[in-house]
Amino acid sequence: MRVVIADDEVLLRDGLARLLQDAGFEVAGRCGDADALLRMVNARQPDVALVDIRMPPHHGDDGLVAAQEIRRRHPEIGVLVLSHHLESRYAMRLLEKAPERAGYLLKERVSDLAVLADALRRIGEGECVIDPTIVSRLVARKRERGPLDQLTDREREVLELIAEGHSNRAIGQALFLSPKTVESHISQIFMKLDLRESPAHHRRVLAVLTFLRSA
Amino acid sequence: MTWRKRWLRLHVLSPIRRLLAVGLYVAVAVVTLAIVRGEPGYALAGHSAVALAGELAAGALLVVAALVAGARQPGALVAWPLAAAGIAWPLAEWNSPGAGAAFTAGLVLYAVWPCLLAHAALRTDQRPLGQPAIALLAVAYATSLGVLGVASAAVFDPIARGCFECPANRLLISGATDAWHKLGQVGLALSVAWVAFFVALVAARVVRSSPARRRLVAPALIPAVAAVALFGVDAAHSVERGFLSNDSTDRALWVGEMAALSLVAAGVAWERVRARRTRSALARLVVDLGASPPPGGLQEQLAALLGDPTLTLLHSLDDGEHWIDAEGRPAALPAGGSREATRIVAGGRQVSALVHGARLLDDPALAQEIARAARLGLEHERLNAARRAHLAQLRASRARIVATADAERRRLEHDLHDGAQQRLVTLALSARLARRQLAADEPALEAELGIAEEELRAAVAELRELAHGLFPTVLADEGFGPALEVLAEQTPRLVPRTVPEGRFAAPVESAAYFVVAESLRRTAGGDVAVDARRLDGRLVLEVACAGELAGAATELEDRVGALGGELVADSHNLRAELPCGS
Repeated sequence: MRVVIADDEVLLRDGLARLLQDAGFEVAGRCGDADALLRMVNARQPDVALVDIRMPPHHGDDGLVAAQEIRRRHPEIGVLVLSHHLESRYAMRLLEKAPERAGYLLKERVSDLAVLADALRRIGEGECVIDPTIVSRLVARKRERGPLDQLTDREREVLELIAEGHSNRAIGQALFLSPKTVESHISQIFMKLDLRESPAHHRRVLAVLTFLRSA
Repeated sequence: MTWRKRWLRLHVLSPIRRLLAVGLYVAVAVVTLAIVRGEPGYALAGHSAVALAGELAAGALLVVAALVAGARQPGALVAWPLAAAGIAWPLAEWNSPGAGAAFTAGLVLYAVWPCLLAHAALRTDQRPLGQPAIALLAVAYATSLGVLGVASAAVFDPIARGCFECPANRLLISGATDAWHKLGQVGLALSVAWVAFFVALVAARVVRSSPARRRLVAPALIPAVAAVALFGVDAAHSVERGFLSNDSTDRALWVGEMAALSLVAAGVAWERVRARRTRSALARLVVDLGASPPPGGLQEQLAALLGDPTLTLLHSLDDGEHWIDAEGRPAALPAGGSREATRIVAGGRQVSALVHGARLLDDPALAQEIARAARLGLEHERLNAARRAHLAQLRASRARIVATADAERRRLEHDLHDGAQQRLVTLALSARLARRQLAADEPALEAELGIAEEELRAAVAELRELAHGLFPTVLADEGFGPALEVLAEQTPRLVPRTVPEGRFAAPVESAAYFVVAESLRRTAGGDVAVDARRLDGRLVLEVACAGELAGAATELEDRVGALGGELVADSHNLRAELPCGS
């Protein structure tokens, strides 16, 4: 899997590259700002771009804007945004227009190779990934009535795990359920959220988006 | 001011001058009575005792009016020409065969009263004459005293004109030629011309002046202009003939002149009454203002009293350096043009100023009268205005302090994210890389590094919370509504029930946000429900806490107060109203 890394902190960029190379990823390029990232993605056509949200020139949400731009120009290339912000709004902004092949993780996940590598692979497969901390915050929140109220507690747990980017098998393991039970929960969720018409892997993404929106 | 005081004094009739004026008029009246009774056929009053009484009364009224009207009274015709016009009015009868020794004086002075009256009218309110008025009066006096007076007398031989009973003309040089007739025609034509010019000049002045001013001068000025105009008509009527006479037209016009002169006197007297009324109303003001008037109450009363609805009252706290209005807002005195300022001085310092239409308060006595009568009210208003100005300054400085604090919070938030947090993340990554290399050889050290890595991650999370608490980026990026949503995500017991759409000014957004954040901080547990809505140019924020609110809300009061808003709090509820413009 080919990855480009964009982060203005050289030490972190290089460390991350070494870590990913060790884990079997091919690092196709490294850069330090949004413009260089867009050029590099254009030239090297990686599978996924790993992008820090805060980058020159504005040190605001330049990375997020660049990630959205990549999704728009190259629908086949995935993006994983690393962010300081725990707020779901930033994740929403990334996922709302094109929820496939996109992920949003907190910056400190860079040292947690298992989470990072899993997220990159799932994005490569066309799914979307949201940091578990953000998901659990959304779940904990008191909210007014919404589409998620129709879900049972178990179904909601499953949806949370889908949102975090877990596969059916991983969900089964986490909740001590058989793969068949997991599948039946998921089809219930799709039905209750009115997602029956869409193609299979797309439905997972849409379910996550519904989860994000209604939270 | 000294030059102006001296100038004023010139136009006030001193007691001796008053006595002189009265004595002179009595003498003129007695002589006139004798002349008219002696030769009624040559007189304008004729055989009518009523006409004669009216004639003498009109002059007397003018003299009295000139004496009672102080020169300082606004709207008054200037005193000495007015008194002189009153004294000169009966002299029109003196160029009569019955005039005896006064005959020569009559020949010179019979047509001088309109000049004096015009003079008084043009000097209304001690107004400086100006070039056109000076030229006009020069022509008028030259015509009356020169052409129709001395020059005509020099060539008027009564005997040659067939007046055998006429007394001797002591100015006669030669009456042989037809010069007298020609001079009379020229003089009367000139009279018509200057009267027309006078009427136009006064009309132009009246048109240019403010409505308040017009109301003030009209009662005396209009009849004065009418009297002079009637004289002009009589002159026009007499041009062909070459002299003023007493045919039926002359007499009708003369009756009109007499009535107009009486009205001038009445107008002056009315002005006097009005001024007195104003002063006593001013005195009553003190009583009216006793019961704590609303800001600007005095201004309204003074505006009504002086008849200028545009009148405004300003105050100064630093002897006229800076001015504020009744609400305490900075204001400026007019620099000229159609508005004027009358400054009110107390204890040697400029304390207040009346800004009004030009020339409304030309009478310094009236301004002082206002200052005296309304002193308590003025002082009360001035202190109120000062209090409001201080409040506004305080609010502005509060707003600056809050804005500075917010800017500092944002800078800290930035620094934490870009500096410390970034370094900690890099450090955690380095620890991870070191662990990978150590894994096989040094399991103990590898485990230590694992703990360090966990600690670093926890530190990053704590720093993030700290930074967010300082100033949430989303508040600046996306506004109050989204920031509230984010806060609810972070603190599940916050329930945003109603959130307004759109953006507000940054200080309003941060004040609203911190009211909510503080409510969360100050309650130990339980839901905190928030309703925020836009209402009549205000952002109304209602926070209902299930738990009890602990501690004081000083910082929130500062924030809300800095915006001119209101904060009401009890043990479970907070309600903030923030002006937001729309």
